[in-house]
Amino acid sequence: MQLSARNVSVSLSGRQVLNGVDLDLEPGEVTGLLGPNGAGKSTLMRALAGQLTHQGHVEIDGQAIAGMSEVERARITAWLPQQRVLSWPISVQAVVELGRLPWHGWRRVMSQADREKCAAAMELLDVTGLAGRPATELSGGEQARVLMARAVAQDTPVLVADEPASGLDPAHQISMMAALRQLAGQGRTVFVSLHDLSLAARWCDRLVLMKDGAIAADGAPDEVMTDTTLRDVYGISARIGRDECGLWLAPLGLTEGGMGNG
Amino acid sequence: MNRPRLITTLIVLVIAAFVLSLLIGPARIGPVASIEALIAGGNEAAMIIMREIRLPRALLAVLIGFSLGVAGAALQGLLRNPLAEPGIIGISASASLGAVLLFYTGLAGVSLLALPAGALTGAALCVLVLLVISAAQASTITLILAGVALASLAGALTSLVLNLSPNPYASYEIIFWLLGSLKDRTMDHVWLVIPLMVLGWAALWASSRTLDALSLGEEGASGLGANIPRARVLIVCGVALCVGAATAVSGAIGFIGLIVPHLVRPLTNRLPSQLLLPAGLGGAALLTIADIVARTIIPERELNVGVVTALIGAPFFLWLVIRSRRELF
Amino acid sequence: MEQFGKRIWTGVLAAAGLLVSTGSVLSGPSVASLNVCTDQLAMLLAEPGQLKSVSNLARDPTLSSLHEKARQYPLNKGLAEEVLVVKPDLVVTGTFSLHNTTGLLSRLGFAVEEFAYSQSVETIATDIRRMGRLLEQSARAGAMASKFEHDLAELAPLACSRKPVALFYGARGVALGKGTLAHSAMQAAGFINMAAERGYEGVAAFPLELLVQDPPDLIILPRPTPGAPALADEILSHPVLKSLKTTVTGSFSRPASLNCGGPFTMQAIHELRAYAPSLLPCRKEGGS
Repeated sequence: MQLSARNVSVSLSGRQVLNGVDLDLEPGEVTGLLGPNGAGKSTLMRALAGQLTHQGHVEIDGQAIAGMSEVERARITAWLPQQRVLSWPISVQAVVELGRLPWHGWRRVMSQADREKCAAAMELLDVTGLAGRPATELSGGEQARVLMARAVAQDTPVLVADEPASGLDPAHQISMMAALRQLAGQGRTVFVSLHDLSLAARWCDRLVLMKDGAIAADGAPDEVMTDTTLRDVYGISARIGRDECGLWLAPLGLTEGGMGNG
Repeated sequence: MNRPRLITTLIVLVIAAFVLSLLIGPARIGPVASIEALIAGGNEAAMIIMREIRLPRALLAVLIGFSLGVAGAALQGLLRNPLAEPGIIGISASASLGAVLLFYTGLAGVSLLALPAGALTGAALCVLVLLVISAAQASTITLILAGVALASLAGALTSLVLNLSPNPYASYEIIFWLLGSLKDRTMDHVWLVIPLMVLGWAALWASSRTLDALSLGEEGASGLGANIPRARVLIVCGVALCVGAATAVSGAIGFIGLIVPHLVRPLTNRLPSQLLLPAGLGGAALLTIADIVARTIIPERELNVGVVTALIGAPFFLWLVIRSRRELF
Repeated sequence: MEQFGKRIWTGVLAAAGLLVSTGSVLSGPSVASLNVCTDQLAMLLAEPGQLKSVSNLARDPTLSSLHEKARQYPLNKGLAEEVLVVKPDLVVTGTFSLHNTTGLLSRLGFAVEEFAYSQSVETIATDIRRMGRLLEQSARAGAMASKFEHDLAELAPLACSRKPVALFYGARGVALGKGTLAHSAMQAAGFINMAAERGYEGVAAFPLELLVQDPPDLIILPRPTPGAPALADEILSHPVLKSLKTTVTGSFSRPASLNCGGPFTMQAIHELRAYAPSLLPCRKEGGS
């Protein structure tokens, strides 16, 4: 399903965080959202996931999400917030099963189909072996995978994830991105925000670069990751190269013009 | 322990405590004669004792214990805080204040309904205040301190209202309102609380899946399609109904909603929704047993049941607080 | 006593001095009372102008039988400062006082007389006479005490097949047992006190179940205070009390009549006896 933002603006505590953002996210590709701190990435994601009141429209396949109930929205978009919260030491299995809540609300019994979806999600994120462990006792990386598995178990056409790979070691970062590519390959719309430029450049089909509440660049990694944009948006210089697998990028240092205000 | 076995064990425990409560009393009636009098009649004095004195008392212990246990478990789920409990965070004391304000000042004409109406209002207002405090991302300590402050304030105001009453007995009744008692309650009290409590249980049960979703935090829950404002309203109403109805009839009884969820949680899969029924049953059993202890531990005298629950609960609470320097649950 | 006598003469001379200006004649010492029981005895025996102050409890209808009479007297809260302001020749109070007032007053040079709470009808006449002596109203006191003793002696056994059993039942299930004035009054009236029979002493919690198991012939209950609700009144409407078919429930016209010992105690005894004809063991076939 196509997820679109039409002239979305958000102001928080008197400050204009998003300024008339227009964006179309297509199914079947992984779109990465980049930008310096304070650019408005989390706010945009929250608006697209229907978690935030905003001006303008957010639409799914042309239908405004504003008119949908919370449950309808939860069946279309899975939202994975940046803050990883686990209030009770429930088992990994139970955490993943929470992803099925929008589908069987009042009914507490999981159907066979529910169980299969949970098992598939855990398999994809490689947490099947942790099923019985209390989720609060896991390492940061393991918890991140478990929470992503929950979002995957929600089995929605759209997945919006805010920095799902932050704090993970390189191996886990790569396996997380590989899982996201697999989900996109199934026809889902995948939108993730990332801090790691190299990871983003290599693993995303499309990049959206934000600065000061507006989109500064939008397109294939080749087009977006240029010296000009890196200098204008991040205020850094980097070495960019290409190999048989994709783009690679190594930040080198700050540019002399100083950083853009963020 | 798997869930059916846990529930069954707890139900058996409640029934055993209930029967024991029926059989114990100052008028020594043998066990067989007691049950006979209760069901079939027979000896008139025994029948009156069983049906009008012991039965309401045992029923109220079960109903109030269940309500306090469920309310405690639901509050802990909503506030995501294992120390949240109607007694500690001031809800019972506020309910007492509400009841006292309405009843002793003669504000309400029909005295039978004044007590629960006041108690419900007092409890609801306190929960709302605590929600506002906890919504500001407050820490555990802040919430507990706010609750303790509310409890102290409510207790002081209750004492003030009672002392200002022209009725000379009023100032002695502070002990009832702050420490609770099931003594000499009638079947009228039972019929009064049942509809209120059933409504409260229903409201809490209706919000239980949202409590599960809240395990992932408010953003996570919202992303799962949970209607958090609606759940808050349901839980405020449910807790107010449960704690308000209980306090109106028995005064403030604390610590049931703290002890029981903690004891029962390790036996469940720890999802908040799965905790509600076991916490209720455990509360029913615990309060009934506490009431038996209150009646029998000192010969010829009766303690306030809240004293017994506090003697068990307060050291337990201290132990939890000390242990919380590591992992709390 | 020397000191006391000197004070009396000083008082009389001072009063004589006052006499010229106020025109009132006092034959006895001026008195302040700090205790609800001594208040009542003093009010009954003092002549006009003699009793300077009574305790604030004297106006409380649940503690004082003479609460209406107390309206004409200035009140005190039992504090030494108030006594200093009034400057009476004599202070009367109870042996148990809330404040350490008694010791302080003695040190300040006041004459203080303490009365123990009478727990028995036997000591009432003695107390009346003692108060009369202190107030120098011995004639009046003697007459009052003699009447009390006479009425006490005149109490015939009740015309019942057996001694009726009575119980004083109060707020939240409290009964009056052995050692209380109520118990003594009940016995003088010809009743058996159910609480004392079961070994309860003083003011004690009495289980409702025992009432049902072995109902007394008479239960005396408190009357609800109008316009001021309290849980204490709940006991009055407990279904168990209504179910006691052989028991008569009643209450005193003056709730305070057995709180302190005095001539009013005799009235309480008469009220108790007035219930007798309606009680089970005392009912006669065919009228009277």
